[in-house]
Amino acid sequence: MAFRLNGVGLAYANGFDALKGITLQAAQGERIALIGPSGAGKTSLLSVLGTAWAPTVGTAEILDAGDRPRSAAALARLRARIGTIHQSPPIPGRQRAVTAVLAGRLGRWPAWKSLASLIYPLDIPGAGAALDRVDLADKLFARCDQLSGGQLQRVGIARVLYQQPDLILADEPVSALDPALALATIRLLIADAEARGATLVASLHAVDLAIGNFSRIVGVKAGRIAFDLPAGEVGIPLLHELYAGEGGELPVQAHEPHFLSQAAANDAATRAACC
Amino acid sequence: MLLNPSARDPAARSRLIAALTVPVVLWPLFRAAEVEPGALFDPDNLKVIGHFLAAFLPPESGAEFLGYLARATLETLAIATAGMVLAFLLAVPLAYLATGAGREQPTLNPLTRSLLTVLRGIPELVWALLFVRVFGLGPAAGVLALGLTYGGMLAKVYAEILESVDAAPARVLRHNGAGRPLAMLYGLLPLASKELASYTVYRWECAIRASVVMGFVGAGGLGQLMDQAMKMLNGGEAATILLTFMLLVFSADGLSGWLRRSLDRPPANRPSPFGGRSAFFGLALLAGAVASFKYRDIDLASLWRLEAVNSIGTFVADFFPPDLSADWLDKVARGVWETLAISVVGTLLAAVAGMLLALPRRWMPFTVLLNTLRSVPELVWATMTVLAVGLGPFAGALALALHTAGVLGRLYAEALANAPPAAGCALRLAGAPGSPAFCYGTLPGAAPQLVAYTLYRWEMNIRMAAILGFVGAGGLGQLLYVELSLFHQARASTVIVAMLLLSIAVDQASAWLRRKMH
Repeated sequence: MAFRLNGVGLAYANGFDALKGITLQAAQGERIALIGPSGAGKTSLLSVLGTAWAPTVGTAEILDAGDRPRSAAALARLRARIGTIHQSPPIPGRQRAVTAVLAGRLGRWPAWKSLASLIYPLDIPGAGAALDRVDLADKLFARCDQLSGGQLQRVGIARVLYQQPDLILADEPVSALDPALALATIRLLIADAEARGATLVASLHAVDLAIGNFSRIVGVKAGRIAFDLPAGEVGIPLLHELYAGEGGELPVQAHEPHFLSQAAANDAATRAACC
Repeated sequence: MLLNPSARDPAARSRLIAALTVPVVLWPLFRAAEVEPGALFDPDNLKVIGHFLAAFLPPESGAEFLGYLARATLETLAIATAGMVLAFLLAVPLAYLATGAGREQPTLNPLTRSLLTVLRGIPELVWALLFVRVFGLGPAAGVLALGLTYGGMLAKVYAEILESVDAAPARVLRHNGAGRPLAMLYGLLPLASKELASYTVYRWECAIRASVVMGFVGAGGLGQLMDQAMKMLNGGEAATILLTFMLLVFSADGLSGWLRRSLDRPPANRPSPFGGRSAFFGLALLAGAVASFKYRDIDLASLWRLEAVNSIGTFVADFFPPDLSADWLDKVARGVWETLAISVVGTLLAAVAGMLLALPRRWMPFTVLLNTLRSVPELVWATMTVLAVGLGPFAGALALALHTAGVLGRLYAEALANAPPAAGCALRLAGAPGSPAFCYGTLPGAAPQLVAYTLYRWEMNIRMAAILGFVGAGGLGQLLYVELSLFHQARASTVIVAMLLLSIAVDQASAWLRRKMH
């Protein structure tokens, strides 16, 4: 089992209920896409899975660690097995790409090794290999404030590839990338998870990317799970219902409507023409 | 791109060179500052400082002494306020002349700028020491000294603030035919006024700290009492005076914080931008200034009487030409090196201590410790460190380190709190323990700010290091104090020129280092 959420609710300090009664579980090695309108609770759901927030109601068992690890050390051990790709890459501008990638293993390295690595990077081949997989091998020693937004996002992905976590969480990992690169990156994440038997949960803005690449689709709306189906069973009406209130349009990758029905593709084209 | 498995870090070579150069540069400086941690534990020194500190309790609270203390405190406040008024009157026209703001063609105005450099480059205590010799003991010397130095600092910063705001509104007004002063009033002042006011208030706070030490050269105020207490090794009196310092500095802190916050409030809906609060504040300011000048009659007009002008003239003439004989220059050069060493060692020790104190922030005892270190001026610390480690530059470096650790600790804590939190949080969520998460996530975001603060502080400390010798803590100050006491004006003027050049050189070096760090 990768995780088991049981009746999870999450209320923020300002009283806003971000999640309500979420029950969801996944076997190790599953690949799940979260879709839903913005503000639906996708990021909150990923935060609970990533142990950033403890649920205010219900239980969350992550990676066989049980509900709520007992000690800070146990929590740190659990977190070292979870890799998160953030919406905006949390990397200091003055850090070099090599250091930013190596930071992925801080949870497993002893402290002396982490500190020594600041003086001379201790695993240059490892960081180079991870960056090579996102086509940035030539930026190994570049400072992150010299990279473009898309390149920086890929450094963040390389960090998680280098971390080799059992559970990969991705919060809109490709929203800063162009469509072709976005597709390649999603496929890379899936291939990596598949090869290592890791679980992948990604929230995606573009429904075509989700349905075309993931086996299981979870629709989230207003803090609840709207549907939880194999990709093949997610039809256009269901999607329109999920995104109702967003102007009747489905968010897709702008120029690559590969596999949505012709009607939906036309929809997107009309909208593109209007804007 | 194919990955070369034997890839080496291209930054390694320059890091290695830096790691080798830094000790090579620092070692002679530590030697020159006579750093000897052992001196702290020398039995004789321990006995002296132990006796002195033991006498701190109970603090002196006799009615007669408290009377002196109250008078000295008022005098200190009067010196600070009157000095600031003078500085402001000096700074406004100088800033107007020096700044490139509101000009159609940018000019550098080398004349005013170099005048400002001279005013700022000579520490206020040196000015005070000179003025005491012309006008005699008393607060007038302190007021003039503060007025000149702070006038120079205010003018420079005013000029820079005016240059840093958006120039377009003023330029458009000038193209429409407005003169430069009006274009600045209507086009620049609305943008810059908050920063100008905020900096002025901050400087007033500094002036209180500065006027506290004026007494060490006989220019009145609390410093004079402190000087006497230290010469008598009277711990009880010293304790009471130190408590008064802290009270004064904390209230100035609080008042200036309140003033700066009230600058943020939006204006009321009425024709005049000035309301009851501004009127009250303006009147209080005016009354404070008048009272300050009246108190212990700081009569600056008397300076312009004929005999005063004559005595100033002869006094100044004695300083020229400076003594440039080889063996005196040799002595001054050694003093310059020692002063540089004190400033570098003091700043480095302070940076390390400040960082250690800044890390466990939100922990009450550390905040109190930082504020205490900060509220006692360097020169006062020096009177105590010379007891702890004996006369010499090491005492000076320690005194600088103690005060600066308080200042830097507070600035570091703020910079770390304001650093973007996302990077460190993400690493902790990936299971990184506290210190690696801090080093990889938080520190890189805050580092430029930390380095800039440290270098700015070094620029201030070089000026401070130049005067710590007044109480026997090494450097150029010791030479200056001795030569002026012996009426060797020509030799003293060499020392003053050396101080000026040293502070200019350090400003340049620090600006260069800051550019390199980017």
